[in-house]
Amino acid sequence: MKPNAMIELNKVSKHYDGTIAVDSVDLSIKQGDFCVLVGTSGCGKSTTLRMINRLISHTKGQIMIEGQEIMSFDPQSLRRRIGYAIQNTGLFPHWDVARNIGTVPKLLGWPKHKIQARIEELLELLNLPYSSFAHKYPSELSGGQAQRVGVARALAGDPDILLMDEPFGALDPITRESLQQELLRIQQQIHKTIVFVTHDMDEALKLANHIVVMDQGRIVQQATPYELLLNPANSFVSQLLGGEDRGLKQAGLMHVADFMKTNRTMTPSDHQLAQIKPDDSLRLALSVMLWHQQEQLIVMDDNHCVGEISLQQIIQAKPYADHHG
Amino acid sequence: MFWLTCLLVATFGFVHLEELFAQISPTQRQVIYSRDSFLALLLNHIYLVSIAAIISICVGVISAIFVTRSYGKEFLPLVSQVASMGQTFPPIAVLALSVPLLGFGTLPTILALTLYGLLPIVRNTLAGIQGVNPAVLESAKGMGMSSIQVLWRVELPLSSTVILSGIRTSITINIATAAIGSTIGASTLGDPVISGLVNGNTAYVIQGAILIGLLALTTDSFLERLQQKLIVKHSLM
Amino acid sequence: MFRLGIDKVMFVLTTASLLSLILLDFVSLQPNRILPGTGHSIVSSVGWGYALLIILPLLFNLFLSFSFRKASSIQRYSFQLLMLILVFLFMPMLLAIFATQHISETQIHARTGLGSAFWVLLFLTSLSLIELKQKLNLSRLKICFLIILITFSWLFFYITAQLDTLAIVREYTARSVQFQQAFRVHLYLVCAAVMSSIVLSTLLVMLMRRHHVFEKAIFPLLNFIQTIPSLALFGLLIAPLGYLAANSEWLQSINVGGIGWAPAMIALIAYSLLPMVRNTYVALNEVDASVIDAAKGMGMSPLEVFLQVRLPLAMPIILEGIRITTIQAIGLTAVAALIGAGGLGNFIFQGLGQAAMDMVLLGALPILFMALMADLFFSTLMSLFSHQDKTSRESQ
Repeated sequence: MKPNAMIELNKVSKHYDGTIAVDSVDLSIKQGDFCVLVGTSGCGKSTTLRMINRLISHTKGQIMIEGQEIMSFDPQSLRRRIGYAIQNTGLFPHWDVARNIGTVPKLLGWPKHKIQARIEELLELLNLPYSSFAHKYPSELSGGQAQRVGVARALAGDPDILLMDEPFGALDPITRESLQQELLRIQQQIHKTIVFVTHDMDEALKLANHIVVMDQGRIVQQATPYELLLNPANSFVSQLLGGEDRGLKQAGLMHVADFMKTNRTMTPSDHQLAQIKPDDSLRLALSVMLWHQQEQLIVMDDNHCVGEISLQQIIQAKPYADHHG
Repeated sequence: MFWLTCLLVATFGFVHLEELFAQISPTQRQVIYSRDSFLALLLNHIYLVSIAAIISICVGVISAIFVTRSYGKEFLPLVSQVASMGQTFPPIAVLALSVPLLGFGTLPTILALTLYGLLPIVRNTLAGIQGVNPAVLESAKGMGMSSIQVLWRVELPLSSTVILSGIRTSITINIATAAIGSTIGASTLGDPVISGLVNGNTAYVIQGAILIGLLALTTDSFLERLQQKLIVKHSLM
Repeated sequence: MFRLGIDKVMFVLTTASLLSLILLDFVSLQPNRILPGTGHSIVSSVGWGYALLIILPLLFNLFLSFSFRKASSIQRYSFQLLMLILVFLFMPMLLAIFATQHISETQIHARTGLGSAFWVLLFLTSLSLIELKQKLNLSRLKICFLIILITFSWLFFYITAQLDTLAIVREYTARSVQFQQAFRVHLYLVCAAVMSSIVLSTLLVMLMRRHHVFEKAIFPLLNFIQTIPSLALFGLLIAPLGYLAANSEWLQSINVGGIGWAPAMIALIAYSLLPMVRNTYVALNEVDASVIDAAKGMGMSPLEVFLQVRLPLAMPIILEGIRITTIQAIGLTAVAALIGAGGLGNFIFQGLGQAAMDMVLLGALPILFMALMADLFFSTLMSLFSHQDKTSRESQ
């Protein structure tokens, strides 16, 4: 067993009378990992997630949290130290936002002022002003706001682990995108161990530093997003990655800053070239080139030129093994 | 069919069970209700309920259609409120209140049954028509159906199961209320029960009660079958 | 361009009210409780001067239902509401005036019967009130205030003895002791039946949630009972209960017999079970699965999930079941008077038997009143439990 594994699954299986939903899964998730389970519907990813907090009990194998088998805990106290957010938010419609967020702290028996402080802190973390949201009811929230509250509620008991079951699945693409950004920002502040389920490979590539591809109850491949793009284990994974489209996906994970030619000064003719920012992706750079029918772009940071990038550089770009951080 | 058989057997058979009923009411000289034949009472009971049902169905469905059209929609809030509030009134109170206004007899009974029977029909027809998926209506209009065609070919067929269940509720309540109608002078299967209660003749009570119960069960199972057929038809569409 | 708008609903209701006043009898003068009275229209009963107290507000409402003036619709509706309240307040006053004009102190049997125009007017004015309540979006509190105001005006004329000659008041005065007792019995029977059905249906629902096989047995049985007409069920209980009572001294000692409270109670409970069990079971089962999943996932114990999440979310529908049951029981208890259970039904059936219409009214009106109060009580309770309503009211 790896020394710093937060969650450890050892040959875990789940059988439902006759059918095998999860088949001998081995998985080790380190403290601070953002692990995304991805696959088509019915592949066992949700079941795997729900076995971690014992909403579903596993049939075979071992699931350990910080080295302890989960069956040795009382299920309720286990769940209280694991955050849980789901697709339809599962907010309690008869409680206002504040009371919804305070659910787990209250179950944990925190004193009132501490719960209150925690609610304020979390609403601020999720960009929901306390004065206008704390006493609204879930039916008065938009989909995106409700899901923010869902995430806040999952974080309320300050759990080490956060389980998220397609939390952004029902949102429109723009709201989903902004919540993904938000989640990445929050994760940089709080460093939880997150297990996230999705069927959307783009979401997985964007969020994860550890992707687990599942199919028919088995793990097909697990790797960092880059490794996955570089070496898909089989045709199923490459199909999931979008087949020939994956070149663009890979470019979407790389930043202009890492590949541009630096130490360049402006020349008068540069004013005819299109511009791009250093933290934009190579995919965007490519798109700008196509649009302006140019093979070169100027990289601008705060109104001064920091370098240039050419089509040649993008085509030859080789991803670094470790990108996130 | 089972209940219908039981109903017919009881209607014609009670006359031959004198000895059995004599054991129930040993002190009575007469143990078979004889002021009217059971058949006549049964037919009159059915007659009252059917007349009331036909009127309530016509009036109820038409008025529900009226208030859901553009020219009648001003009346919609009032009608739907009244249809749901009216069911707060116990049927026996409606029956009793019809006497001071209209007097005793068959006519006030029919009127009370009709009025009370209207409520579930209006309520369900409204629910049915309002429950039709707006997208379906939109596409029906989009295909060029006139508003009458939309009503006949889309709205009414799609809400028919809900309407029928309203009719079923209405008729079930009315069979029960018509039985109590005996007390205001309508001749129904309630007669033997009431006269038995007044004279302490349990045999009469049982004869009337069994027939009323069987009539209700027969009608209900018939309507249920009709409902099933409609549901099957709809799932095929 | 000048366009004449018309509020069809208020126009129809007000026109019908006015027509009924013209065409039908407002009151009748009865020499005693059995003989039919002589009818009077509103004008011939109190004279034009007083009749205008009701006719003028109605005419004004008719006028207001045309919207050619620049007044906002809220103002118009408020005016119409005011006029309706005036009509309600003047109705008992006209009756009092009629009595002083037509009945002298010495005619102790003479009484004022309410004519069909009175009932039609009462009905149509109530409908107008419902219509305006929706248009003005009146809160429950304001409605309660209105009802209290109108009741108070009736009470005022009753207490100052100006309504003593009113037929139903005469009838009540003649048998106030019996009435109060019947009212109590009726209330007790309904409460006892509803309480016991709550307990019983809770047990049944618990059983069904534990073992789903019972669902297949219990629902058809309860449906079957609900289909049997009340008179038949009461009748069918007489023989077996009578037989049991004849063979058991203990049952006799607690007054159980073929007639009386026992068969009434059994039938009332049997009828109450279906709406209660059905609503409770369905409500508990249909709580959004994702909410329950989230509750479990956050570490609530099964009891906490049930008490803090499932039950409160199911509560409005459970209360709706109790509301239906209570209203149904109020009506059925009246029928149970036929098998000697007592209660207000006694007045109805005795009145029908003696062709004394005032006595029928003395039974039927309080039953109506009781049902309406039960309805008001439970809908208020339901709105307290339903958070959606709370928020939508606040946002209005």
